[in-house]
Amino acid sequence: MIEDNQDPLLALAGVSRSYGPLQALKPVDLAVVRGQSIALLGVNGSGKSTLLRIAAGRDTPTTGQVSYCGRPLREDSLVARAEIAVAGEVASTYPDLTVREHLMLVAVAHGRGAQAPGLVDQTLAECRLSDHGNALPGSLSSGQRQALQLAAVLVRPRRVLILDEPEQRLDPGARRWLADLLVREKAAGAAVLVATHHVELAEAVADEVVVLRDGEVIGRGTPDQALAVIQ
Amino acid sequence: MAAPAVATEPADSTDATIRLLRELRRTRSRKQLANLAFWLYLAAFAIFSYGGWLVAAIVRALRRPPPALAETPMLLRATPAGLCALAVLVLVVVLWDARWRGPVVIAQPTADWLLDTPIRRGRLLRPRYRASVARFMLAGAAAGLVPVALLLAAGLGGGGLGDSLRLAGATMLTTGLLAGLGAGAASWAEAHAYSRLRLATPVGVLAVTVLAGLTALTVAFRMPSAISAVLLWSGPWGWAAQGPLALAGGSARFWPAATLLLGLAAAAVIAVGDRAAADVPAAVLRTRARTLGQMSAAMFNMDARRVTTAYRGAIGAYGQARFSIRPPLAWQLVLPWRDLTALVRAPSRLAWSALLALASAGLGALAVSAPHAALLPLAGALTLGYLAAAGLCEGARLDGDDPRRSAQLPFRYDTLARWHAIVPCLALAVLAGGPAAVLASITGHAALLPLVAVTIAVLVGGALVNSFRGELEGDMFSGFDTPLGNSSGITIALWYVMGPLLAIGPMLILWSAAIGSARASRTIVSVVLGAALAAWLFHITAGRARRLKGG
Repeated sequence: MIEDNQDPLLALAGVSRSYGPLQALKPVDLAVVRGQSIALLGVNGSGKSTLLRIAAGRDTPTTGQVSYCGRPLREDSLVARAEIAVAGEVASTYPDLTVREHLMLVAVAHGRGAQAPGLVDQTLAECRLSDHGNALPGSLSSGQRQALQLAAVLVRPRRVLILDEPEQRLDPGARRWLADLLVREKAAGAAVLVATHHVELAEAVADEVVVLRDGEVIGRGTPDQALAVIQ
Repeated sequence: MAAPAVATEPADSTDATIRLLRELRRTRSRKQLANLAFWLYLAAFAIFSYGGWLVAAIVRALRRPPPALAETPMLLRATPAGLCALAVLVLVVVLWDARWRGPVVIAQPTADWLLDTPIRRGRLLRPRYRASVARFMLAGAAAGLVPVALLLAAGLGGGGLGDSLRLAGATMLTTGLLAGLGAGAASWAEAHAYSRLRLATPVGVLAVTVLAGLTALTVAFRMPSAISAVLLWSGPWGWAAQGPLALAGGSARFWPAATLLLGLAAAAVIAVGDRAAADVPAAVLRTRARTLGQMSAAMFNMDARRVTTAYRGAIGAYGQARFSIRPPLAWQLVLPWRDLTALVRAPSRLAWSALLALASAGLGALAVSAPHAALLPLAGALTLGYLAAAGLCEGARLDGDDPRRSAQLPFRYDTLARWHAIVPCLALAVLAGGPAAVLASITGHAALLPLVAVTIAVLVGGALVNSFRGELEGDMFSGFDTPLGNSSGITIALWYVMGPLLAIGPMLILWSAAIGSARASRTIVSVVLGAALAAWLFHITAGRARRLKGG
């Protein structure tokens, strides 16, 4: 089916989040279309992760609504789980499964069982983990564990990528690789929503930058416009 | 016009995924089974080699249960309310468990790696739920042995081995069914009423307290049979009580119908829970998986404090601060202010301490009024008093957990450890000393009040000794070999109970001496020795603090 590139895949309308008296996120509107990348910038506690959790359906907004492909997003929706890839804080791992086996599991769970072996090898190479395919995750460095999280996103189908500070624990070379990867994902038609502290990453991949402070959007626009707000 | 963005339903990959995971983890599963078999073997070996006499005593007791006592008719009167209280307690325990873990729980890696995939969660979660229900029912059945032992000890229901076994069978069946029913209800609540689940435990505790009070009342006074009938038909707890009651010689003519009703209710609720298991929100599953991971790690290291921290985190005890006290201007008051703040921000801890202190004062008064049989109530009073003091020492425990926390305070770490005694001592003086003073003035034992004051200091001192014990050291696990086995078990146990042991044991002797004699000099000696003990405990606390700080 041919799709309209300008039709939002993921849309947040008037979304806010409060924890008791604390308003972690004030009402925000956000929409991301195919092939578009939005970067969220802001200091710790500014509401980036809260916004991403809501966008991923992992948290329920206090007000407002999140929709995916025009329908209200539910975390338990099979479609959302099949098409929205989320990578955030480093996940725990099965201590007895190798890196390759973790990725196999994700590929099979996403219905890619037939092509899983080749796909996993290719992803391991892409994420510079080829030498660690048969290693247990306990032996990986923190940067390699972060790369494993990103690899888990790459072995599965995805129309939306939601990444919370994916540059964390990556060395400068790996950060450049990450930026290239996100640009390629965009070019392949994925919608990317990424929270980052790394201004260079935002400049390299984002079509729109949203700047948050104390749970409120204080600026948004092209990377240049948003960076002007920050400065 | 272009078509809107559309979402397409993914193919079902659940079976393939679960099969793959099972295949990949086969070696580990085998190891786990082998471990389980080894532990079962060890348990059986320990029971038959060390506990053989216990098994023989139990069999003998079942064959020839204690005969009816003079008090047996009175106890039988109290049995309906007592059994209902125990039945509600089983439900409370299951619902309390659901506050942090619940029957639908998965391992943390499964939560992190599979919950985000489009597998059908029902097929992942229901087997876990069913295994949990089976475990709950087994544990519930085992818990049924407690009322059986109480009934037999009271001379109820045991004409011989057959009668005793029938009583045990009926009780274990009903408590097992109750636990299963509770697990089903917990699963439903996790899926559909999670925010209200936390209310279930206090309501249940209140019901148990009321029923326990009713039990105590019916020992002394005859209860109208209508109240008993209402209790026994008021819900699953009453249905569960009827079988044991009838077999213990009480009046419950329709107990087979009540047991059938309980069985049907349990089956229905377990089935509802089975359906609801698939709907437990992923956020709840993730939080519980994380808590379970933290708890397992803490338990593996035998770190009770971290277990508590993980549990309190899971039940939301570390959310927003609801109460605050204005910080003082004088530096000397900083630590009391900090301890008081820690207490008011954990009101349930304060409430529990108040309850324990009250019960301790009550038991103490009982001991004083019957000096010839004072040992047991005294031990109870001191133990409850210690637990109340330990609950009040939260501020000290926070500083004991991590010496860096208090680095900015104007106190040396060992001095600070002693300063932490102020608030718990004052609070305990109000919570236990107040009621004790009232009881002492009523019963004419006001001369014992200085000993109460000293006891408070000793109990707080014991609690502080434990608060500053630090983490379990690795070499404690190795121990040394003795003819009775390795010493590590005893070392670890002593490490945990050092505070209460040093506080309760000597005070038991001093109190026994004081109330066992009419001479005032005995009380004075007890007070002086108690004060010395308190000073020694504060000295140990300071020493432990120095060791923690590495000084």
